[in-house]
Amino acid sequence: MKRPLKYFKLGTCFVVLILLFSFPFSVYAKDKIVIGASRSISGPLAFFEENAFGPLYKMWVKEINAKGGIYVKEYGKKLPIEMLVYDDKSDMGTMTRLLDKLILQDKVDLILPPVSTAFLFAASAVANRHKYVMIGAEGGATSLSETMDKVPYFFMVLQFSNHYQMPVMADIFEEIGVKSAAINFIEDLHGIEYSGQASNELSKKGIAVKMIKSTPPDIKDVSPILKEAQRLNVDAYLSFTYPPVTFPTVMTAQAIGYNPKAMLLGPGGNFEVIKYVCGGAEVVEGVMGEGAWNAKSSPAHAEFAKKLLQNMKPSQLDWWGHDVYWTALQVLEQAIEKTGSLDHEKLRKSIANDKFNTVLGETWFENQMLAEPCYAGQIGQWQNGIFEVIDPGPKRTAAPIYPKPPWPAPKPKE
Amino acid sequence: MSVHDGFLSVRSGQPANIITSIQEAFGMIVKIFDVLVAGLLLGGIYALIAVGLSLQYGVARVFNISHGEFIMLGAFATWILYTTAGINPLISLIICGPFVFLIGFFLHKTLFKSLLSSSPNMNVFEGKSMLACFGLLFIIQNIALLIWGADFKGYSYLNVGINFLGAVFAANRLVTLLAALAIGAVFYLFLAFTRMGKAIRAAAQDPKTAGLMGVNINQVLALCFGFGAVMAGFAGALISMCYPIQTTMGLEYTVIAIIVVALGGMGSIVGSFVGGFLLGLIGSIVTSIEPSLYLIVFYFIFSLLLLVRPKGILGR
Repeated sequence: MKRPLKYFKLGTCFVVLILLFSFPFSVYAKDKIVIGASRSISGPLAFFEENAFGPLYKMWVKEINAKGGIYVKEYGKKLPIEMLVYDDKSDMGTMTRLLDKLILQDKVDLILPPVSTAFLFAASAVANRHKYVMIGAEGGATSLSETMDKVPYFFMVLQFSNHYQMPVMADIFEEIGVKSAAINFIEDLHGIEYSGQASNELSKKGIAVKMIKSTPPDIKDVSPILKEAQRLNVDAYLSFTYPPVTFPTVMTAQAIGYNPKAMLLGPGGNFEVIKYVCGGAEVVEGVMGEGAWNAKSSPAHAEFAKKLLQNMKPSQLDWWGHDVYWTALQVLEQAIEKTGSLDHEKLRKSIANDKFNTVLGETWFENQMLAEPCYAGQIGQWQNGIFEVIDPGPKRTAAPIYPKPPWPAPKPKE
Repeated sequence: MSVHDGFLSVRSGQPANIITSIQEAFGMIVKIFDVLVAGLLLGGIYALIAVGLSLQYGVARVFNISHGEFIMLGAFATWILYTTAGINPLISLIICGPFVFLIGFFLHKTLFKSLLSSSPNMNVFEGKSMLACFGLLFIIQNIALLIWGADFKGYSYLNVGINFLGAVFAANRLVTLLAALAIGAVFYLFLAFTRMGKAIRAAAQDPKTAGLMGVNINQVLALCFGFGAVMAGFAGALISMCYPIQTTMGLEYTVIAIIVVALGGMGSIVGSFVGGFLLGLIGSIVTSIEPSLYLIVFYFIFSLLLLVRPKGILGR
């Protein structure tokens, strides 16, 4: 009888010790919310960390901490945020390992998403495996949206091809009278989905797609492709490419004197930096891009644009993603306040079902994706240095310019 | 009447058909010419990128994986000089050249010399130096990231069209080609006719014998590494005239340099130019037919060369 009693005493002591040390510390000693992220601080994707979601989460943390933190009811106080960010060096394998490390070893309270669509694809599975809520930022894809029911802890905010950029682009082209188009796309998920959706939507409107070409991501000279489109004399040239190809597309078209009536650019066309890289706002006048929002979209957007300019260089502005990335952070903050908890299941339910008040106005998710009415716009066009929303309907901030004005003559300095 | 109409239509249709055929043939000739010019313009840059790597590996025996980072440094130096001081990119070549040379020379005199002295033979040195270059790549790239960030930078220099026999291309590309040819020619003359050039060639052929003949091998190897860095810097300066630049741009140019060097032959300046122009032409032809095959063809050529002629076209 002695041995069981001895074990009972030992067991009781063990339980009491656990209760004494771990329980009170976990509840009462919580003094901060640790948020982890695996971001591409170096490598080819570093551009996005510097210009897209990167500056926004840093600004958000600064803003939250300046007001004392986020109020979490279950701890009965405001908790400031501490960021724990690792550099995945733009490598997907490293990113997934770092995400595992953040959750299992560093035991962060919340996580922020990695950079790019392909990385989000992988990260959504990791987050879901650990039952951690993750709201995506840079990236979105039709194929990803089709698997959303398998990753209930993952949410997407950015627009993508059929959500709802390409249908809106086709509506605009029909309205302005585009009759034919040529497409060049990058050989990855983004390019394949956008070219497919664009060609489909344009065909529905009776717009002839006379050329579809695909290019590798690091092609050095796009002039043969532009010249082919020039020979076909199409009204619109669509370039579903990334900045390293998007910017030279504009520069080469200008140099060879190819000025289609409409030119729509993929990622890169929406960044303020395009004006700096391509030689000025007048160079991109009339060029269209995926997006879009600007200070005229709403009073909240005007306030937000002002805030962005106070916190970052003008060249870092992103007129496609910045408002929705900020929305993602606002949703996370409000979900914590609404549930009064850092419990991921509670947060997931709140994000999936509740409505939030963000820079976009009333915001909610449908099938874990931002609902269509929430967006400020889908397609933008550079007009006098502003990325105007040209979607048909009330979201439009300026009428589309068609045909696009001629390329400007080089400046005397050049 | 109908026969007459038919006769007329045939007779009047013939000149129209001939004119259309001539127009089509002319259009095809212009297109081919256009593709060839685009290839040569691109080839000039490829050649210059490869000359540097060829020197560094062919003579100094350092397989410089960080070669692209020197290209990036040259590009950023030119961008800074142009945007802040308004200095013409071609003049930047003269300003940046000695600076990049000193970095390369100093690196060899310190890092690679100590690796060389601690290596029992050249094969061990090659392995060690390649690993050191990986380290250099990350160090240079991350320092550049800290200074300039990951943003795209660029400026517009001579971005105007030139129409040459129906082929339209940007003036800045023509400038890069001419500059690359001029730099290549000057360097070739330096190697062929100067005492130092002869020492470099001797070291490339047989370093031990060259040493016995009074050539200061360590000095020559350091000079070669410095010259390789200069070539990379020059290439970067020329690239910045035509393309947006980024601190992470280096590696993709290193890959191109490796392919060109494999194509042209290790240690051969002429080979690098032949390889550069060949690759430029192949790239341009492939892009005009099916752009998606652009990189696949490059890697196919690379693999084929390694199997059939590993020493390259003009390699010894």
